[in-house]
Amino acid sequence: MRPCGVMRTQTELQENLLTKSIFSVLPALLLSVAVAAPSGALAGEKEAKTCLDSKIWNGYNEGWAVRTAVDGTLKKGEHRVYLVTLYAGNEYVIQACGDNNSGDLDLVLHDKDGKEVSRDQSDDREPKLTYKPTRTDTFYVALYAATLAGEASDAGVAMAVTYK
Amino acid sequence: MKIRALALALVLVVGCDDKGPEKAPTNTTAEKAEPGPTAPDKTLSMAELTAAADQVALVPSPAEMQRSLSHAGVGKTLASMVQDRDISMKVENKDQLAVRAGVVLADLVLTVKESPKERTLARLTTLGVALEKLGAGSDVQAVITDLKKEIDNGAIPVDDLVKEFDELSQVMVPELEYEAGEWVVPLIQAGSWLEGAHLVSGAVVEAGKFDAADNLLRQPEVVEYFIKYVDREGADKAPDEVVAKLRETLTTLKTVASKPSLGEADVKTIHDATGAVLSLL
Repeated sequence: MRPCGVMRTQTELQENLLTKSIFSVLPALLLSVAVAAPSGALAGEKEAKTCLDSKIWNGYNEGWAVRTAVDGTLKKGEHRVYLVTLYAGNEYVIQACGDNNSGDLDLVLHDKDGKEVSRDQSDDREPKLTYKPTRTDTFYVALYAATLAGEASDAGVAMAVTYK
Repeated sequence: MKIRALALALVLVVGCDDKGPEKAPTNTTAEKAEPGPTAPDKTLSMAELTAAADQVALVPSPAEMQRSLSHAGVGKTLASMVQDRDISMKVENKDQLAVRAGVVLADLVLTVKESPKERTLARLTTLGVALEKLGAGSDVQAVITDLKKEIDNGAIPVDDLVKEFDELSQVMVPELEYEAGEWVVPLIQAGSWLEGAHLVSGAVVEAGKFDAADNLLRQPEVVEYFIKYVDREGADKAPDEVVAKLRETLTTLKTVASKPSLGEADVKTIHDATGAVLSLL
């Protein structure tokens, strides 16, 4: 997954035909050519990010602030895991959005020993959970594509941690 | 957010991670698709969590530190403790440059509501210079340029500026990992975290609220994360006073953070150790 908000011009986007192997051979090109990815996946990720962005920025009206926002693509059954430091006293919302190919996305919060401390209760593509730690510590946030819609092979997803 | 709207009108959001799975074209039609059959709840094992863990979100932001400080009952604002200083970016060592950028970014975010616009503009300019030298793409520079124009014209309310700086620091800057080297973002984060930890420890000392130190300052995994990047293979081996002091400070912080609980002496050690790096910038 990558940080959300990375922007490229359409011209640059159309030039995104390099493969990852070229990146390792010609790192200098990284400065002038954007990251390769099929346009369909990018559109899905953009859709997921747009959904999440509205939640993040609307949250500022209620005192929330963004800690991190990432997006990417998951196949059915795949997961992404993020290590986060959460402060005692702060309240956190961890939420995600999936694109139209998503079915049920799950968010699970584990403590640093792997024990599950919270899990979203929805069966949709916009999972959300809140957590208020009693002590400052590191946690694992797992985002899991439990199901996809219909015959979709993958889905664009975005995940954010906000706090207040 | 005016700048965001403008930017979105002109550009497309694209990928910036080469670690994800290969992506097949997806159906992005507007109609709502039916979700597939419900799958049983999945629980990852500790081994799976550890193997898959991405540390991009590990480091708390300076603004988040401020929030936790308030919740701990320390009334002092970090913004009031930020030094009004010019941090030069005329350095060759890229590690040091990234740390400097992180400190400026922290000061920018913490003081956005209090600083006069000239000071904010100066910090943005300094940040832009650092990010350019670190190989940031033109997109980040364009955002900084737009922000400077908006601020200079008084066209952006301070609450919107808070959002813009949060997006810049917490969402956009991580892009650098993919353009200038994967070590840049952790070292920018190290600079921001050092500044935040220095200010928080100073506020705790001033308030005498040492019982809050564990929750405000004890973050062993964060310190380990920074050490991993400072000591990475391929790091610039040329002698550098700031990087050497940073390594020494992180070693001290690791020792302090390994304690089960922090006391007054530990908080003062954190304050002095972080200050030793910052004083060299």
